[in-house]
Amino acid sequence: MSPRRTPLFACVHVPDFSVQAAFRHERGLAKECPAAVLHGPDSLMKVLACNGPARKAGVRTGMTKIQAEACPGITLRKRVAGDEELAQQVLIDCGFKFAFRIESTCPGTIIIDLNGTERLLGPPQEIAEKIVDECRASFDITIGMAVNPDTALLAARGFAGTTVIAPGEEASRLAPLPVSVLPADADILETLDSWGVRHFKALASLPPIPLSLRLGQSGLYLQQLALGRIKRELVPAEPPPVFREGIELEEAVELLEPLGFVLNRLLEQLCQRLITRSLATDQVLVDLVLEDHPDQQLHADSSPPSPPLLHHTRLKLPVPTQDARVLLKLLQLDLAAHPPQAAVKKVTVEAWPARVRTTQTGLFQPLGPEPAKLEITLARLRAVVGEKDQQGRERVGFPKVTDTHRPDSFQVISSFSPAREHINEMPHGRVANTLTLRMFRPPLPVKVKLRGAAPSTIVFPGIKAQVMDASGPWRSGGEWWSQAGEWKREEWDIGLVSDGHPAVYRVFQDCVSGQWFVEGMYD
Amino acid sequence: MTSIAVIRAQVENKIPGALTPYQRIEGQRIPTGVASLDAATGGIPRGALTQICAAGNASVGRTTVLVSTMAQLTRRQECCAWIDATDAFDPASAAAAGVDLSHLLWVRCDRSRRLKPLEQAFKAADVLVQNGGFGLITLDLGSIDEPSLRKVPLTTWFRFARVMEKMPTALVVLTSYPAAKSCAGMTLSLADSQDTWVNPGDIHHARMFSHVCSGIEMEIRTRKPVSSERPRFRATPVWA
Repeated sequence: MSPRRTPLFACVHVPDFSVQAAFRHERGLAKECPAAVLHGPDSLMKVLACNGPARKAGVRTGMTKIQAEACPGITLRKRVAGDEELAQQVLIDCGFKFAFRIESTCPGTIIIDLNGTERLLGPPQEIAEKIVDECRASFDITIGMAVNPDTALLAARGFAGTTVIAPGEEASRLAPLPVSVLPADADILETLDSWGVRHFKALASLPPIPLSLRLGQSGLYLQQLALGRIKRELVPAEPPPVFREGIELEEAVELLEPLGFVLNRLLEQLCQRLITRSLATDQVLVDLVLEDHPDQQLHADSSPPSPPLLHHTRLKLPVPTQDARVLLKLLQLDLAAHPPQAAVKKVTVEAWPARVRTTQTGLFQPLGPEPAKLEITLARLRAVVGEKDQQGRERVGFPKVTDTHRPDSFQVISSFSPAREHINEMPHGRVANTLTLRMFRPPLPVKVKLRGAAPSTIVFPGIKAQVMDASGPWRSGGEWWSQAGEWKREEWDIGLVSDGHPAVYRVFQDCVSGQWFVEGMYD
Repeated sequence: MTSIAVIRAQVENKIPGALTPYQRIEGQRIPTGVASLDAATGGIPRGALTQICAAGNASVGRTTVLVSTMAQLTRRQECCAWIDATDAFDPASAAAAGVDLSHLLWVRCDRSRRLKPLEQAFKAADVLVQNGGFGLITLDLGSIDEPSLRKVPLTTWFRFARVMEKMPTALVVLTSYPAAKSCAGMTLSLADSQDTWVNPGDIHHARMFSHVCSGIEMEIRTRKPVSSERPRFRATPVWA
């Protein structure tokens, strides 16, 4: 029998989470300079949270914006709904790099179940260092590690840096912490303060029965927390249905090149988050909030505020990818083809997760184009030849013959999905050289002189010739039930000699208009 | 003589291979499916530029030969690309000839764009060659007039020929005259044979060329490498 393993939990706590979430993309600013987050109506914005340098400079929670601005060098930012949610997701994703059971305890705090990972990741202190390294790009964190989740949580909230509490040392290690760290109501904390109980050690030494009589079960629960004796199960966090990253820009971006840098950073973060969960994405949506035109702002006084101008770009990939460079290139090509109508002031990127594609290619199977690379190639080709023709058919893609009798009916599928379709096998004994038609799109109008019902002379740009022989008419028609779509025609195959070269053309008469056209040449 | 040998040795010491004639590596060949042509030439070479040309607007089977080659490749699950400068490709004909259309990338150039179709075609060919992974890339310039083709600088063809040398892809250009000149690894010139239009014989049911002909017989002249053989083949419409 293997010895029973000691459980291990790590709590990752982000101090001043609101500030760190708001300044996540400007880490240097939030770390070294005074910074604060404001909330409330524009006319009366107050400080919601501030960082260490701001606190040292005298900024406090609840100050008005004007009071906070008195602090030299402070950077103030309005709280944006969704920033903290995104930051919490990033924090959870960091946790997923170490274990698969993560609890999102509250904004700015997660608990990672590290049971059984010692042999893989090393001793607790080493794991803590790895977690700090992993989160360094996004947050400054404190870590608490203990045998139960709540002790780890209190250690992370109460101590700076990394605190590893060995089994059996919970009460002694937590003893110096102030009771304000406990998740207690304000009135209980006030009562404890009135008793002179200001630290865990004092709370732990209170007799349980009198404590229970005065503060009820809550009091006993807090005492057990202070002793590090509460044991509970984690509530694992579910992966989000959509991975989202966003940034609100200080200055609106007018050119696509600098916008590419912004997109690159967001896509790299998204792909990193997907990779941590062994996921990829096959669908990406980019929402760009555009700056209002100055002329519109001039009229804004008399009219109700208009909704923000938006520009959407959606990418659909045939094969899921984790490569941020591929996504960036596709987005750049798409934005170059459909540029936003105004400067961009906010960017949001959403990625729908999909399972990573795993394929085993055959040993003798010929190599085809790499799917992700091919998508970029298709986008580049679209930039060269355009996207759609006048009938709305794609200009770049994989043709598919439509199931109809209407001539020259086909679809062009824009994405590559190689599937062995039914291929017309040649009848036994038949020579495989099937004569091919070269189309004239659209069909060229042609002047035709008739001999009886058959064409005798044909004139169209570049050709004026006697018809040597003609075969027809071959009548076809369809969609008689639809007034707009009805077609009816009589086809002729004609042989003629043009400039001394024999040529066979297909001409037809549109029975609705009576006009003659040449559809193509057999070659 | 000694001094030349010394100079040669010194140059080759600094730049190996500078004075050695360039050796072109003979690549694999793709069978065209036209038995007489395959017997005479072995097929279309990979890693080289091949041009198939025919004068004028004649029904000489340029497209048929290419479509037949594509059918051979797509049946083996290889991907092909067709760059269509004049939007002349007919998917229905290709499907009837046995091409697996799901393995065929079709690029249709747009006449209404600022960039001319010929320039679009060359740019598209550049992009596709860079991508790699295709067994055959066809540059269909068959309906582009000769004066426009003559304006294409020889360096363009030379660049394509050199790029293709290191790739397992065949680049085939369909033109009205041999525009790529010496840059092409193979040049096929198609012409009508004396008895171009084959008599219908005893075909009764077909909606066909009917009594125009039941097929067209073509003659292929291999201009590069020069060969006295003139393979013939007969192409028939799908319904014949």
